[in-house]
Amino acid sequence: MNLEKENKFAKQINETFHSAVVKVQRERRIIVELRSDLIPPFLSFAKEYLSFIHMAHYSCVDWLEENKFELVFMLWSYEEDVMLIVKTKIDREKPEFVTIKHLWPQAETYEREIHEMYGVDFKGNDRLGEFILEDWDDLPPMRRDFDTVKYAGEHYFTRPGREDAQDVRETIARHSGEEIPDFAKKYSIRRDEE
Amino acid sequence: MINDKYANKIVDIIQNFARKSSLWVVAYGTGCGAIEIPPTMTSRYDAERFGIRGSATPRQADVLLITGYLSTKTLKRVIRTYEQMQDPKYVIGFGSCTINGGMYWDSYNTIKALDQYLPVDVFINGCMPRPEAVISGFIKLQELIKEGKANGAQKYKENLEWYRENQRKVIKNWKMPDYNW
Repeated sequence: MNLEKENKFAKQINETFHSAVVKVQRERRIIVELRSDLIPPFLSFAKEYLSFIHMAHYSCVDWLEENKFELVFMLWSYEEDVMLIVKTKIDREKPEFVTIKHLWPQAETYEREIHEMYGVDFKGNDRLGEFILEDWDDLPPMRRDFDTVKYAGEHYFTRPGREDAQDVRETIARHSGEEIPDFAKKYSIRRDEE
Repeated sequence: MINDKYANKIVDIIQNFARKSSLWVVAYGTGCGAIEIPPTMTSRYDAERFGIRGSATPRQADVLLITGYLSTKTLKRVIRTYEQMQDPKYVIGFGSCTINGGMYWDSYNTIKALDQYLPVDVFINGCMPRPEAVISGFIKLQELIKEGKANGAQKYKENLEWYRENQRKVIKNWKMPDYNW
């Protein structure tokens, strides 16, 4: 595996941003973890100096246990065919970040989605209104503490299943003599045995 | 005007025959099920031999085909589409999602039982139903029309309050026009 260009990028990043944790995951994948206040200078550095001109994706991960949101940027370099994944963690209680739409205009749409689904507030983005959901007044739905089954049960009519509905897994396992793993057993309770 | 009950019966038979033989489906696809409509309509399955064909606007259509899951946002549009359609009009619920939510049973944003919000004449189950199943659903609808039993629109008018109440539960910001049919 030839990691020459990846290591070259990692060295360049480390020279400029000393606090960045750079990991070359494999060919064409570099992961950088960084403090959140260094993200705008880092992204413009990656765009202007390291040829990562394409922002391919921008997303958010909810780390409920750590009480953090993680913002993930994926940048692509057409010159070197390398993907740079930039990660940063922000506070979950009062999630705030700055907009990066001056670097990539398409970031505005990603920010609107993250705002709607996770409730992250992007300073400088003035279009953080209603995006995909209409009239949503509950917790942002992609947060892990939002209970979607409970919400669906409270807000929508649900039709009960058939009495004779059975999981076919039990029947197949009985014929072929294979073991059902423990985690799957709760889904395959046979009603006639209860 | 002849006001004889046998004459009316004959008129009904002719009327139902005409209605069942030309079902125009409004070209409105919700969810993923709309992908089964092109093969149903085109040469392999050729739904037009049963008089089923697409129509451009809801005002010209007879059948509203709900193809798959309905988010609450789409439900608003579907209700408006349905209320703009002129009599006779029928609704076909297509796929598991319209029956019990299907694979979206725990989704925060899709309705689970379509018949709580709109009067459904025929359900076609499956995820997705094949074009054969779609055509068989249409034939079932034609049979109901022939017998004069496909009276979903009548049901909707009579129980409008009940349907409205259910619709308002999921559509929080209600800004819908009132039609006087």
